[in-house]
Amino acid sequence: MRNYDVIVIGAGIGGLCAGALLAHQGRKVLVLEQAPRVGGCCSTYEWNGYKIDIGASIIEFPQVINWAFERMGTTFQKEVDLIAVDPTFTARLHDGTEITFPIDLDKTKEKIRKLAPEDVRGWEKYSQEMDGFLKAALDGFFVTPARSLWDVCKLFAKTPALLKYGSLFFGSYEGVLRKYLKNEKLLEALSFHSFYCGLPPALLPGHFSMIPYAEHAGIFYARGGMIGIPLGFQKCGERKGMEVRLNTTVEKVIVENRTAKAVKLSDGTVIDAKIIVSDINSKKLYMEMIDQNNISWLAKAGYKSYRYSMATPMIYLCLDYAPPLKDHHTLMTVPMQKMNDYWFDHYEKGKFPTEQFGILSWTTRSDPSLAPPGHHIIAVTLAPGPYRLAGTTWDKEKETIKQNVIQYLERRYLPGLRDHIVHADFSTPVDFEKRLLSPEGAIYALRQDLTNAMMFRPSAKSKQIKGLYLVGASTHPGGGVPTVTASAMIAADLIGKYES
Amino acid sequence: MKAIIIIAVILCCLFLLYATFPKSRKQFLKNLLSQAKYLIPRYFT
Repeated sequence: MRNYDVIVIGAGIGGLCAGALLAHQGRKVLVLEQAPRVGGCCSTYEWNGYKIDIGASIIEFPQVINWAFERMGTTFQKEVDLIAVDPTFTARLHDGTEITFPIDLDKTKEKIRKLAPEDVRGWEKYSQEMDGFLKAALDGFFVTPARSLWDVCKLFAKTPALLKYGSLFFGSYEGVLRKYLKNEKLLEALSFHSFYCGLPPALLPGHFSMIPYAEHAGIFYARGGMIGIPLGFQKCGERKGMEVRLNTTVEKVIVENRTAKAVKLSDGTVIDAKIIVSDINSKKLYMEMIDQNNISWLAKAGYKSYRYSMATPMIYLCLDYAPPLKDHHTLMTVPMQKMNDYWFDHYEKGKFPTEQFGILSWTTRSDPSLAPPGHHIIAVTLAPGPYRLAGTTWDKEKETIKQNVIQYLERRYLPGLRDHIVHADFSTPVDFEKRLLSPEGAIYALRQDLTNAMMFRPSAKSKQIKGLYLVGASTHPGGGVPTVTASAMIAADLIGKYES
Repeated sequence: MKAIIIIAVILCCLFLLYATFPKSRKQFLKNLLSQAKYLIPRYFT
């Protein structure tokens, strides 16, 4: 006799949200998580009274996350104490110029007028285009399965306005921004956002260029740390009987006659369920955790062909002073062309840069309770780091790179930094892999170009194994807190439809 | 013969068009083309 209707592998945002939604469908749900805490990339750990976010440092598109809570009869605001972050970010350009982007679009326009008066009209046109696109995308794209060509046709039929923006999908992020903006400094300030989706401006599909605009609808931080969001989903699920087991690693998904039957844990325990929901990297799931006899040769070729998304080394700094920053997010930028060149000339060749770019996330700016009184935390997201370093390893280079980066940060952005570090923790791509069991430390699971999107990304309802469903960054619509939440809604809908 | 000439002219035009593209657009297209061969197997995942 089965004890559970559904087993969810992984208590990331996707797994917990799917688990909670399925519990609200009246199913008995067990969520298994290998780590000692929930949340995956959207989590927070404690060190001597400091609460440090592992990855995600703000959320965009709160309305998408709210849809998930609404389906459970509550709201995002009720379940998670959200702090509005304003401005969206300040960019410190490589030449020392600083530009701030307040949430208020009119105020942002004034900032742009000061920096690049020739681009005010272009910014207005860009805003108008992205506003229209976002409305259309939120209407249909986010929570609609895109498993087949037929699904995609239905998606466009349901939201014909998306057709108007079709050209965005076939150009690059850089191409779209350059269509509207000419000033290189302004372009530099907006270019790092492409790495929010895991690719440089030259490679990321153009529709993602809506991100800098979308932030003006509001960005938020969860009081107490970003783990508050997955905990919100966990609470909702537990109200309906969902169980979460931490420190429990799933080794195999047991499949018979192409039907998922159970999971096998690392201690040998087998737990049966009618439905298995996977919130782990789908390439790893299909290539390493399922008997290959259950997968067609064509699908195997497909899984093998996926490239993991970029990894991002991070430094977590606990400080005994208020850092000389202004805002929750400060972007350290280099010119757009240099970001592209870095990708092709360094990242893809296994080299890590000495001149850094990335994000300084000053979380205690928004929530001082994260650290002891007078102390602060900065999570530094560095330039994408190759999983394999040319001619050496991360373990060998870790300490040297950490010290070099801290010196660089002190010189360029945080004077006096080294005198105020209470604790500095450097997480390399290899550490991310160990900590989150994310292959190659990939933060968005699989790359997010057009050839890995929608019906070409592993399907939410497995096309190979009955009773197996996917959520998380490695299925449609992709990586990021709101998109992963959307994947959970899609999976819950499909399960509601196909699994009585 | 006529068909071959038409195809050659089209390819030539496409090549000339590609040559006028900025570096980043070439990189974008090159990446898509290098992955295009996987579209069919990926559709079955």
